[in-house]
Amino acid sequence: MNKLGIDLGSSYTKGVLVDENNKIVDYHVSKTGFDFIKAAQKIIDKFSSNHEIQYPVFTCGYGRDQLLVPYVSNSEIIALSRTVFDSYNRKCSVIDIGGQDTKYIKINDQGQVDKFKMNRKCAAGTGSFIEEIAFRLDVSAVEFNNLVKQATEEVKINSFCTVFAISEIIGMIKNGFALPNIILGIYNSVVERCVEMSPLEDYLIITGGVPDNHPEIIRLFKNRFNNCDSPEKSQFMAAYGCVLLNNET
Amino acid sequence: MSAEKSDIIRLESVAAMQKTMGDYFNRLKDAAETGNKKIAWCSSVGPAELLYSMGFEVYFPENHGAMLGAGKNADKYIPTAVAHGYSPDICSYLTSDIGSFLQNETPLQKMGFESVPKPDVLVFNTNQCREVEDWFSFYARHFDVPVMGIHTPLNINELSEGIIQNVASQFKDLIPELEKVATQKFDIDKFKHTIGLSHDGCVLWRQVLETAKNIPSPINFFDAAIHMGPIVVMRGTQYAIDYYKILLAELQNRIKNKISAVPEEKFRIYWDGMPLWYQLSSMAKLFARHDTCIVASTYCNSWIFDDLDSKDPFVSSALAYCKLFIVRSDDVKEKVLEKLMTDFSIDGIIYHESKTCARNSNNLYGLQNRLYNKLNIPFLEINGDLNDPRCYSEEQTIIAIETFISQLSNQVGKLDKVQL
Repeated sequence: MNKLGIDLGSSYTKGVLVDENNKIVDYHVSKTGFDFIKAAQKIIDKFSSNHEIQYPVFTCGYGRDQLLVPYVSNSEIIALSRTVFDSYNRKCSVIDIGGQDTKYIKINDQGQVDKFKMNRKCAAGTGSFIEEIAFRLDVSAVEFNNLVKQATEEVKINSFCTVFAISEIIGMIKNGFALPNIILGIYNSVVERCVEMSPLEDYLIITGGVPDNHPEIIRLFKNRFNNCDSPEKSQFMAAYGCVLLNNET
Repeated sequence: MSAEKSDIIRLESVAAMQKTMGDYFNRLKDAAETGNKKIAWCSSVGPAELLYSMGFEVYFPENHGAMLGAGKNADKYIPTAVAHGYSPDICSYLTSDIGSFLQNETPLQKMGFESVPKPDVLVFNTNQCREVEDWFSFYARHFDVPVMGIHTPLNINELSEGIIQNVASQFKDLIPELEKVATQKFDIDKFKHTIGLSHDGCVLWRQVLETAKNIPSPINFFDAAIHMGPIVVMRGTQYAIDYYKILLAELQNRIKNKISAVPEEKFRIYWDGMPLWYQLSSMAKLFARHDTCIVASTYCNSWIFDDLDSKDPFVSSALAYCKLFIVRSDDVKEKVLEKLMTDFSIDGIIYHESKTCARNSNNLYGLQNRLYNKLNIPFLEINGDLNDPRCYSEEQTIIAIETFISQLSNQVGKLDKVQL
């Protein structure tokens, strides 16, 4: 029987299927949309067509308690920390950049959460910031990561507020700034919001859907921090952590 | 997790509290309707004793602001004040109160008031913030009545003789101006008597809050935020004393019978900053569901003025109202908090950074990190506001609070502390 971890995030729902030896069997991600129940069911249906799933399933994220099947809910911060510690086995700091939240987590050498912080009440530093701007520029956010590689110089975006940032970018477009340079400014703005959450003195791990889909952001972090890493498929780490946490109880 | 865990064990004293508060509002209504007594508006930590001693009925706009917040109506009124030039970034008590006035709506109408009681005079003390002066000045202009107050120095580190004498003389300076409005002359004996009553009420309120030192605690922050009504609006009257005797007896009885505010108290939290009035009930349930009791708070402790001394009413008033937590330097605040952590056996601290109340948000100048480095007590910072729900993300905060409690549960030895 396989165990299922589901991270029902504000933008995307991530599912991880795990075998009896805690090995990941399969991953799936889909848009959350407006119905958490359907989003969770979509993940369950995806996996159950080929695998037998053990219930309860293990959940975290905004929709963690919105399932019609038996479930055990968890804190996504604790779950993510569990996977990070399992992977790195060291004291570290985590910056997790999701669709709506950015989190700073300080994990001690026992794998416990010593401290954590969430972004302040706006989209600055989150995936929503990037997506809103992409929508306004009529460029797919997915394209951002390719375009930014053509940047020749950084354009600094000052505004915290997404709407003001867009106004600022319109001014830049009027003044002939190149799109790749503007995107570099957008990425750096996200990094700046993360860096100001706490002094990032420990080994730094970058996780979440935003770095997975915009790996150039990871490069910007690595430019600033010598001891920095971002695992592959890091957006699934919280879902996987839900399963790991519940193996222990 | 059982549903029963989130059930709040209501204090039986609620009925007496409601009667005490109801009678207070009836006295105000009577004064407003008949004009038999003059009405003074007073800031919440203003010179209430002086006003009561001179025969005023005393109305507190901040209490009204909290009623608007708790009634989940503040966001209906704030935009009106904003449209009239009051920034959405200033005190949301102020903006919701002025907005509701401009819309001619008040929860007092449910108690039979036509509107808020018209002031004959408005009296503030800036010890808590400068907004009270601007707030009261709006009404002074509107009603064409005098506004006056005490300007207390801010960020007081040492309570020097100079500061105390200055503030004491400002108290005295109010008297001739108040006498122009009052129906009776100032009487030093009445003032001394009122100061004595205020002292006794404050001592009882302190004793009420200190019952939370017991493990498990018989009272939590959410109870205290409601039951503080009488000490805010009837400080200096026998009514407050009578009520807190009832409440204290119930809490002592709870301790004797091992009845706790949170049915299965495992974690004890200190709450810094303002309550989120529109979230009071849901937050109380959230914490109870997670076996967590908020046992002490900066906010509720702010109405302990036990330095008041009837033998020296002016100087002791100055001392008591300058000693107030909110008006002190961060160094003093840090020492006060440090002591409270020990006194109340605190496992974790939650700092509420209130968008429109920087003065009552104590995580703005690094205090939270300094205290953590000293005491190693975990802390959580949440963003919100006292009255404006538009500044608050409920879902994000629930995740943060639940994670924080999970974090506490992993702290070695914490569970062993709990004695149920």
